Amino acid sequence: MGKSNYILEITDVSKYFPGVQALDKVSFKVKRGEIHCLVGENGAGKSTLMKILAGAIERDSGEIVFDENPVEIHSVHAALNLGIAIIFQELNVVNQLNVYENIFLGKEKTNFGFINRRREIETAFKYLKKLDMDFDPLEKVSNMSSAKKKMIEIVRAITYKSKLIIMDEPSATMTEKDVKKMFKIIRGLRDSGISIIYISHRLEEIFEIGDTVTILRDSKLISSSPIANITKDVLIKMIVGRTLSNKYPVEKRRIGDVCLEIKNLSTKDFLKNINLVVRRGEIIGIFGLVGSGRTELARAIFGVDQIDSGKILVDEKNVEIYKPADAIKIKIGLIPEERRDQGLVTILTVRENVTLSSLRNISRQGFVNRKKERFIADKYIKDLDIKTPGMEQAVANLSGGNQQKVVISKWLSTNSNILLMDEPTRGIDIGTKSEIYKIISDLAARGTAIIVFSSEIEEIIGISDRIFVMHDGELFEYLNKDNITPEGIINYAIGGIY
Amino acid sequence: MRLKLGKIGLQRFVIMGIFVLLFIIMSLLSPVFLTTTNLINVLRQVSMVVIVGCGMTLLLTSGGIDLSVGSVLALSGVICAKLAVSGVPLPVAILGGVASGFIIGLLNGTLVVFFKIPFLIATLGSMYIARGLAYIISGGQAVVAGLPDSFKIPGRGYVGFIPIPILIMIIICVVFYIIQSRTILGRYSYAIGGKLETAILSGINISNVQLLFYSLVGLLSGVAGIILSSRLASGQPNTGLGFEFDVIVAVILGGTSLSGGEGTILGTIIGALIVGVLNNGLNLLGVHTFYQYILSGATLVLAVILDMTLKGRGIKIRHKIRQ
Repeated sequence: MGKSNYILEITDVSKYFPGVQALDKVSFKVKRGEIHCLVGENGAGKSTLMKILAGAIERDSGEIVFDENPVEIHSVHAALNLGIAIIFQELNVVNQLNVYENIFLGKEKTNFGFINRRREIETAFKYLKKLDMDFDPLEKVSNMSSAKKKMIEIVRAITYKSKLIIMDEPSATMTEKDVKKMFKIIRGLRDSGISIIYISHRLEEIFEIGDTVTILRDSKLISSSPIANITKDVLIKMIVGRTLSNKYPVEKRRIGDVCLEIKNLSTKDFLKNINLVVRRGEIIGIFGLVGSGRTELARAIFGVDQIDSGKILVDEKNVEIYKPADAIKIKIGLIPEERRDQGLVTILTVRENVTLSSLRNISRQGFVNRKKERFIADKYIKDLDIKTPGMEQAVANLSGGNQQKVVISKWLSTNSNILLMDEPTRGIDIGTKSEIYKIISDLAARGTAIIVFSSEIEEIIGISDRIFVMHDGELFEYLNKDNITPEGIINYAIGGIY
Repeated sequence: MRLKLGKIGLQRFVIMGIFVLLFIIMSLLSPVFLTTTNLINVLRQVSMVVIVGCGMTLLLTSGGIDLSVGSVLALSGVICAKLAVSGVPLPVAILGGVASGFIIGLLNGTLVVFFKIPFLIATLGSMYIARGLAYIISGGQAVVAGLPDSFKIPGRGYVGFIPIPILIMIIICVVFYIIQSRTILGRYSYAIGGKLETAILSGINISNVQLLFYSLVGLLSGVAGIILSSRLASGQPNTGLGFEFDVIVAVILGGTSLSGGEGTILGTIIGALIVGVLNNGLNLLGVHTFYQYILSGATLVLAVILDMTLKGRGIKIRHKIRQ
């Protein structure tokens, strides 16, 4: 038969959006039955390329050959029919439906227009079993963890008889354990001849699972080669386009007086007896896996969730926080976990987002002082080096890293003394990541007390003055200063003893 | 002031274009259309829709809606007329009518904000309640007998050469334009409608803001109700049927998003004018009411299709691939 070795061949594909060349003559090939990693900073062109393959947008020029035939992909439906399935970063399941209904969503098995429920359940069961997933096809999706929901999407992609499955940061919200499990499934798929394009910012994952790695930077192809030929340092250099001298800033900071004290804080359903003391200029790192209670703790301090018992002291004075507005009044800020849904109003401009929390301070009798407002927006765009065409740009058009800088600006403009940061660098490329670490460190140097909640161990180790671990709603300080290693901390976090 | 370019600018340009086009067509088709008397007549007719539309724009932008405005229109007129008949000085009667609107608005806000009832249900409920109250208070009949002559002033009077309803409309437009574009409240309406959770986590007291918007819409409906009853020289419990849709049509035509986060007072004014000019023109041309319904409906749908296409959310215009 002489079948080509490649399932997908992309040649000189370009895409132009008003004002940006999103893809500039990108070419690479994906082999049959390989895990092909696609990496690059935010805005490098990965999403554009993916959307073209998914049929969500159309290319301007270039050629795409899929399974030996030149193709035009006009819609998501067309992509699926060709055998290309995409698993987007955001979860795409219908919560009100159960597992098997989600799996067959859009291509229900029918007899004369009626859904053949039994056949769907049986088929779903077969696939779940084959992939070694231990859940019931009849279970409602709404109560499942986001990792499980992701797995359902993978099953859905397989039932489409896809030849190529594209996964955009599937591990972003997963625990290590879930990631391991997912990798096992992905490897199984590869071994059965399916090709995977795996997009991730986590470089360790790429080395763990990838066969080939393709790097995009500034809308251009930088390299596409077997992973075995590349080292981590070289990879980082190719992604960023420069050598990152030091990812985590090393500055000596002066740690000041106690500024936030949490005493015996508990919530009705989860947090147990939390005690924490934070000083001015200190960066506290709280490591916790999904479901450990880290987000809940941040929300409880900020007044989003009600505290059942316990006390919060700010500058040694008792404070009552019933709602976010109370927390903001005593100069606490929260950078929430979900940037687009909780941190920003994406259809508003950079200026409007930056001043959203501080609007009262720059208004008189309810009238916004627009000169002051522009001044503030301009200041933070410069200070934090936010890459935007201007302050009147809608935040939706910014890259993830720059969006996060806008969220940080929002709290800087309220002069927060205490900043709670929940997953501050999730989904952000390494270049911008180190910029954000620098910002965090600079803030601490100016006397801000910072608590970073994160599931990224490396980040916690890199930036924290003191490390805490959350497990099952409880908070422990990690005291083993001589053994600050990822293994030590993970062990602690899953309830082991170091 | 710097101009905000991009899709919002384009959209406003298009809606303005539709209005100008309609205006020119009507001037060409009807010799009466372009007379001062007729144009003032158009403005007088749209004044009530615009007045309520100003509040509705803020409310819709913040992600809410109020279906009770038509009933409130009737209730306010009936209460005002009833008070006037009973010998209360006219200014007090007017205040009573407006206050009744405000109270229904406050009720709407309370139901939505504190009882967490979906806004469609809450305002649908108060739509019936207000209508029922209007019938009960009026005894089911138009309140006419014993109305003082001065009762006709708000609807038919003039200040200088400007009709009072138009004057009130202009003042309210200016006030709400300023609220929307210059004040914290305006900004909050965009933030709440744009992303509720972000607004809460940014420390915005969304309950107060929403409560205020519902109350304002009620208050403005009260004002419009006074104008209408004064024009009719009676308090009629069955007026304003379908008025809520006239208002919502004007607001949507003006580019306010039904899902919140977007909208401008200026757009609403133009939206109301498009509807007003269309109705007026068709009347002048002697088009039968039945056909007017069809044309009005088609205008709304076409305008929204055009709007969505320009914003890139509607039908996709496929470009040929350059090779």
